[in-house]
Amino acid sequence: MAFGRELHRLLIALLLMFMGIGLAAAYWAVTGPDALLDREDNPRRVLADAAVRRGAIFDRGGEALVRSFPQQDNTMRRVYLYPETASALGYFSQRYGAGGLEAAFDTALRGADRPINLSEALTAQLLHRPQVGSDIQLTLDVDVQRTVAQAMAGQRGAAVVMAIPSGQILSMVSLPTFDPNRLDADWNTLTADPGNPFFNRVLQGRYQPGAALQTPLIAAALLLDQPLDVEYRSASQPYALDGLQLECAVRLPPLSLSLREAYSFGCPTAFAAFAQNIDAGVLQATFDTFQLDLRPLIDGAVSTSDPLSNAPVEIDDANYLQNALGQGEQTVTPLSMVMIAASLINDGNTPYPTLLLGTRPPDSDSWLATLPSAPTIPFTTLETASRLQDLMRAAVAEGAAQNAGRPNIDIGGHTALAYSGDTTLAWFIGFATLGGRDAAAVAVVLEGSGDAGLAADIGGTALQAAGRALRQSGS
Amino acid sequence: MLNTLISELRRAPVLDDPGRILQAHSVERRFLVIAALFLLVNTLSLWILRGDVADFWHGLAWGACAVFGHLVLNWRLPDRDPLLFPLAMFMAGWGIIAISRLQPPFADRQSIWLIVALCGMLAISWTRALLRLMRAFRYLLLFGGLAVLAVTIQVGINPSDPEGVFGAPALWIALGSLYIQPSEGLKIILVVFLASYLAEQYPTLRAEGLHTGRGRITVSPRILGPIALMWGLCVVVLVWQRDLGTAALFFIVFLVLLYTATGYTFIVYSGVLMLGAVGVIAYQLFAVVRLRIDIWWNPWLEAEGRAYQIVQSLMAFAAGGVFGQGIGQGAPGFIPVVHSDFMYAALAEEWGLIGALAVLVCLAVFSTRGIRIAIGQRGKPYQTLLAVGLSTLIAAQSLLIMGGVLKLIPLTGVTLPFFSYGGSSLVVTFLITGLLLRLSAREV
Repeated sequence: MAFGRELHRLLIALLLMFMGIGLAAAYWAVTGPDALLDREDNPRRVLADAAVRRGAIFDRGGEALVRSFPQQDNTMRRVYLYPETASALGYFSQRYGAGGLEAAFDTALRGADRPINLSEALTAQLLHRPQVGSDIQLTLDVDVQRTVAQAMAGQRGAAVVMAIPSGQILSMVSLPTFDPNRLDADWNTLTADPGNPFFNRVLQGRYQPGAALQTPLIAAALLLDQPLDVEYRSASQPYALDGLQLECAVRLPPLSLSLREAYSFGCPTAFAAFAQNIDAGVLQATFDTFQLDLRPLIDGAVSTSDPLSNAPVEIDDANYLQNALGQGEQTVTPLSMVMIAASLINDGNTPYPTLLLGTRPPDSDSWLATLPSAPTIPFTTLETASRLQDLMRAAVAEGAAQNAGRPNIDIGGHTALAYSGDTTLAWFIGFATLGGRDAAAVAVVLEGSGDAGLAADIGGTALQAAGRALRQSGS
Repeated sequence: MLNTLISELRRAPVLDDPGRILQAHSVERRFLVIAALFLLVNTLSLWILRGDVADFWHGLAWGACAVFGHLVLNWRLPDRDPLLFPLAMFMAGWGIIAISRLQPPFADRQSIWLIVALCGMLAISWTRALLRLMRAFRYLLLFGGLAVLAVTIQVGINPSDPEGVFGAPALWIALGSLYIQPSEGLKIILVVFLASYLAEQYPTLRAEGLHTGRGRITVSPRILGPIALMWGLCVVVLVWQRDLGTAALFFIVFLVLLYTATGYTFIVYSGVLMLGAVGVIAYQLFAVVRLRIDIWWNPWLEAEGRAYQIVQSLMAFAAGGVFGQGIGQGAPGFIPVVHSDFMYAALAEEWGLIGALAVLVCLAVFSTRGIRIAIGQRGKPYQTLLAVGLSTLIAAQSLLIMGGVLKLIPLTGVTLPFFSYGGSSLVVTFLITGLLLRLSAREV
């Protein structure tokens, strides 16, 4: 037959070519999921992320702080219900990812932490069910958070409130802040803001402690049996250090002050004289005991790759005085300072801070409590802690921290100034006892403010709110 | 001529074996029912997913076309190939569902085009004298086709880029709001011309094509002539229209026909070499060719830039996996112009490897049935070559675009026959189906 040979060859060639296409399709369909779908530039990942039903975040009282609502296009909208909690919670955006606690608890909120069995996985795959995340309950109290945020309105700085003996963080305010509901629109402005609103100052802010270090120094003096009542001449006058004039927390006329009185008013001169009596080794040991170099990580709430984590400070004769007066290389976070205050009201041992109370899987009504927090960390002795409590009560009763006092609440505190470059920082650390072993501790730092009284006032307000919240939850 | 046509229309064909023929009709009916069930399930899925029934009329139109086509073919071409029509309807229906899922407004137009295409196919199968007429007027057809091509080169536009801002190939002629792609029609004309030319010339070509005496090989001008003509046509299409796909398609179909007619294997080899040489030259001269070859060679370097389309296409295959995401559940919309050139990737994402292989098998069966029809044309060189040319058109176009979206070969902007959006393309594939049906009928 004419053309017979050619046609049969053509037929075979065509079939072989179609087979080749089939093999190529099989290759990409079978190996592609591993090789291609995990690529950063796969837009299907964004789509899948947008459909994830991210879990809600609740406060300790069960009040919803953040919820996700489904939209018409099958994506979810994250809504932050209390603007005052933004600095503590961070943000979540389809475009810019997650920050703060949203990032720290991302695995649970996305539902990526739950074990999933084969039939569940198959059903989800077949029916295209979106991934559903767990709800989480934080130790934060929305009332305390709002009260503190309102008290700090217009300031720049940080405040943290901790419940004793649990170590639960009741409030964590960092200013300036941002509106997570407008994140996508404000992103460029926020990232260019020199105030760095995304920076959680409570956890990440390393501040010059200044005279706020007087509390560990007094603890060292007590341990060394150093007398606190020896008077130092002109102790209320500013102390000159490296071109800086270190001042008392409140303005005083020229006076001689004992170490006890100098502590009450946050005056540095007496402490500079006292520091001559102890050596670098003692100072180093004191800082080490109070773990000032420790940067507490609350349930992984701060990335360990944070460039701000610094190496331990080596104290020697050259930098000794600067560090003793809190103007050296030794810097502290507000969280480390609240741990110092907490240790004084908890028999010298500080509870480890926690933020997460529990998680609730999507198909469940009951909360799964997180494991009990880490053991307490010994900072000082019971006796030293008890004597420091009295010193702090005295500072609130008749010293520079009077603004922290509130009627019918047992409050102790210490207020002081620190200097960082051209700016002055106002510190307050304090506690309130609430009956039994229950107490609250607070640390406040105000940037660019020489008003230690204001810091004390904010501290007092925070402790009062914490007391109210803890009594309510206790009852 | 008109009298002949009218008498053709009035004459019913004579059946030689009613039992066998009725069985073949039943086979065709069963395939159509299977196709209808598949399309119904998918239409319902899409309906549930979207919650509206606006697209339901596509299914009704398809059903009406299937029933009407089957009945008319039973009457006019009772002894035809029983697979071609159900396959064409199945693929076109699947294409409309996919278009309706990808670009809902386009599905309305595609359904109307299906009706037009079906009418064209039935008209061709109706007219017994058509093959003879086409053969008789082959030069008129060819020069008419070339004239339209010339007009397209002058006034052609691209509907997606009417101002020519992006330098997209301008392959369409606008008739009011209607866009027609003349190169699609030219494909059939070219096959008809070559089939009739080679059917007359092949005995001479086979006899004197190669003078191998005294170790000398010369090629007859009878071979060189059409080669030069086709070469020129391909270069025109390539240079003036930057239509890499159609140029490659013309050349491949021509090579296959020339090989079938002459039986010389060296034609295939030298043709492939020439294609390669043209590729190399075009790579140097034309930015569009350079782009296509660069992103084919390594798309990963520019996965978010120029190679975005092909990378997304491969991701669609990966996302589809073996079983697919399900209709309306994948994200093939990330592939630019997915409803046209990249339809195969969209089908693979939502119907998985199983769907992709089903598409492949349909197209392979369709084109190999065409070759079978050619084999069946004993002693009729024109009909044989015509069937070979038409099936090669479908096969080569399918292989070019499927190979392109799978990164086996550089991308050529041709449509996936039957499936892709495009009126001209759908009408032409149905006309080809009509011609193959006509050729498959016993009494031709």
